[in-house]
Amino acid sequence: MTDPIPVRADSAPECRTCGAGAPVDEHFCPNCSRILALGRHGDYFTFLGLPRKLTLSAADLERRFRELSRKFHPDYFYNASPAERLASLERSSYLNDAYRTLRHPVSRIEHLLAIEGMPAAKSETEGAKVPPSLLEEVFALNEELDEIREQRESGVDPTALHARLEVARDPIDRKREEHETRLNELATRWDSQEQASPQDRRATLEALRERLLERNYINNLLATIDREVESLSALRLADAGSGSGDVQ
Amino acid sequence: MSHVVGIDLGTTNSLVAYVKNGVPEVIRSSDDALVPSVVSIGEDGTIFVGREAQRRLLTAPSRTVYSVKRFMGRGIDDVRDDASLLPFTIGGEPGGVIRIGIAGREFTPPEISAFVLKELKHRAEEFFRAQGEFDFEVDRAVITVPAYFNDAQRTATRDAGRIAGLEVLRIINEPTAASLAYGLDKRNRGTIAVYDLGGGTFDISILKVEDGVFQVLSTNGDTHLGGDDIDNLLVQMVLADIAGSASPAELIQVIRKAVIQAKLDLSDADATGIRVDPSPVLPNGYQRHITRAEFEALIHPLVERTMAPVRQALDDAGLEPGDIDEAVLVGGSTRIPLVRKKVAELFGRTPHTELNPDEVVALGAALQADILISGRREMLLLDVTPLSLGIETMGGVTSKIILRNSTIPASGREMFTTGVDNQTAVDVHVVQGERELATDCRSLARFKLRGIPPMPAGLPRIEVRFQIDANGILSVAARELRTTIEQTIEVKPSYGLTEGEVERMLIESFEHAEADFEARLLIDARNEAESVILATEKSLRHPDLDVVAAELKPGELERIRVALSDLKQVMTATEREVIHEKTHVLNHATQHLAEVLMNRSVREALAGRNVTDI
Repeated sequence: MTDPIPVRADSAPECRTCGAGAPVDEHFCPNCSRILALGRHGDYFTFLGLPRKLTLSAADLERRFRELSRKFHPDYFYNASPAERLASLERSSYLNDAYRTLRHPVSRIEHLLAIEGMPAAKSETEGAKVPPSLLEEVFALNEELDEIREQRESGVDPTALHARLEVARDPIDRKREEHETRLNELATRWDSQEQASPQDRRATLEALRERLLERNYINNLLATIDREVESLSALRLADAGSGSGDVQ
Repeated sequence: MSHVVGIDLGTTNSLVAYVKNGVPEVIRSSDDALVPSVVSIGEDGTIFVGREAQRRLLTAPSRTVYSVKRFMGRGIDDVRDDASLLPFTIGGEPGGVIRIGIAGREFTPPEISAFVLKELKHRAEEFFRAQGEFDFEVDRAVITVPAYFNDAQRTATRDAGRIAGLEVLRIINEPTAASLAYGLDKRNRGTIAVYDLGGGTFDISILKVEDGVFQVLSTNGDTHLGGDDIDNLLVQMVLADIAGSASPAELIQVIRKAVIQAKLDLSDADATGIRVDPSPVLPNGYQRHITRAEFEALIHPLVERTMAPVRQALDDAGLEPGDIDEAVLVGGSTRIPLVRKKVAELFGRTPHTELNPDEVVALGAALQADILISGRREMLLLDVTPLSLGIETMGGVTSKIILRNSTIPASGREMFTTGVDNQTAVDVHVVQGERELATDCRSLARFKLRGIPPMPAGLPRIEVRFQIDANGILSVAARELRTTIEQTIEVKPSYGLTEGEVERMLIESFEHAEADFEARLLIDARNEAESVILATEKSLRHPDLDVVAAELKPGELERIRVALSDLKQVMTATEREVIHEKTHVLNHATQHLAEVLMNRSVREALAGRNVTDI
């Protein structure tokens, strides 16, 4: 915390070592071959030399990550100039962020939406709205949860309630599987739309964004059920009357 | 060219290693690789480190500090529970750095650790000098820390290195260092679990090795779980047996020494005794029998406590225990059979123990130092940050900016704005941890963003950039995006030293260098004397002494005993010449006895008896 890194200049694609110009997505200066400051950089796909597609090979991604790590890592710039050390630190950080983001299908979609200029699929106002595709399930689940909570508070056997929760979880799990399939279909559609009209591509992005909002909602529902399961488990433990074995 | 080394700065013991022709080696001093991480202050202000300080745990417990690693980067509130068994006092402001009070002086944990580091630096320099190196100075080091150390603990370790006059090339994680030393990249590509149970800390790291890249997938642990806790359980068991009596520092230290011996015995034997000789603090002495089964029942909950972090690390890596190709054991506490058994059971395979678990981390640190200096590219460590980094937002809730198990270096950014019109400063609180509420996380730093141009509330857009470097240490930068005015950030580390304090301590350590040099010569003299005393006492206890006495000159044994007691009497003297002289006399007096015993051993061996029987 004692060595704040200098804030990087926003407008300098040129090499800090030799002053030559360099294309935005080059990692090393074509003129003097020194590592370039991050400066104005492209997106995670281009940084890793990948096309802007949602289907990718995990093994290929990992190989690219390892290869670039071997080029950028601060370990190899220990004796370099301060400018190169900073460039190595920034470029490695960016590489690590890029790899982590692209490795997981969902964060990969989120990144695609961001670089395609779509608003984030996390907006608080939208997140609170029930997606139309889920209306029926949400209504049923909320009723069931209310009843289970009431019964729990009035001392009904937690084991029986636990079984009811499992049953209530089933339709949500099914929705989740359905959702995965649709998300994959959309991803495949995006990958085939390279030559498509801007309107069609935009429509796919909109649909992907809708799906992500739906996904957040499903995950929140599952988390709510998990929390209820936890409070039941705590009750059952307390009922068993056994002291915890925790030594902390 | 000056030298670089790798240092394992341990809770109980520390070591230093270097790389020669690509092969890492631990630097020993008379065959002893370990420097006990103990610091003691003599009545005359002399600083003792290592074996000598460890001996003083018994004779001067209130002037002696051990296990200081447990206090690095921590606050007084974190360690109150530990304080009851400690012979030294700990204090400090709540929410600030701990102050350790010994011998009427106050030290911060980094200063105490710096004494240990200086000792290791000295040991390495003596070694290179003895090798006939023209430039034997050691000025740069890679220092290891538990993988689960947070930012404050890492920063404290780096500060300790600087106070000791070392340029800290890199802070690396102990389990990762160990995997490097095992050279697992050469024999395997696959998934490795490193289980590291040391004197005070527990770490688990899951790594993937391919093409010479050691990529940590996840790490977890407990920075307050290790051999010390096992010792404390045994000490408490003995204290309960000696019911009623008070437990002064001296008593606890003699008990600690006895139970540690018993613990070590039980790694090989099925049963042993805990024996405390009668002394003023315990007039009747103490003795009890303990079986390995009893010992295992006692420590079972502690060993169990390591399993939750292991499962969490596997979970974070998206793996099952069966996915692990190799398990590696690191740390002295993994010599305990119960620990080995539990690890073998979990992963369904016999863990690697080929390398000395005490030395493997220092070897890896030396390899990493060599990589940094030489630019060799065969191997690359890609480690992760063990804990999520976040900031406190409205309502005291944590907003995570860099998630745990992110590969480092890692960066993250967060936008801030103002709450009232013409506000020119914003307070930011940086925390580390997984909990929802900022108060449940570790506070790393507070800072104020200043110099925001006066604007209506909510209009400024201040970007704060967090950068975790390859050491796992955080730095912060900020700017206002509308005006691109750079913000000044004064970071006040919550549990650390300020830049100014580190500078001052470094200057002080130079000012004391001359006095330290004299003190060093005195300590060397005492150490030499101590080893001659120990060797002599061993000879005098030799079972065949009565038999060989006939071969000795009249009065020879008596002369040895007198020389021995003379030397013992001057051991605490501050004139090293006196100690030298008496050491020389004792050495001379025992020469003949040593020869006689040696000859007898040789004769016995030739007569068909095994040398080890003698």
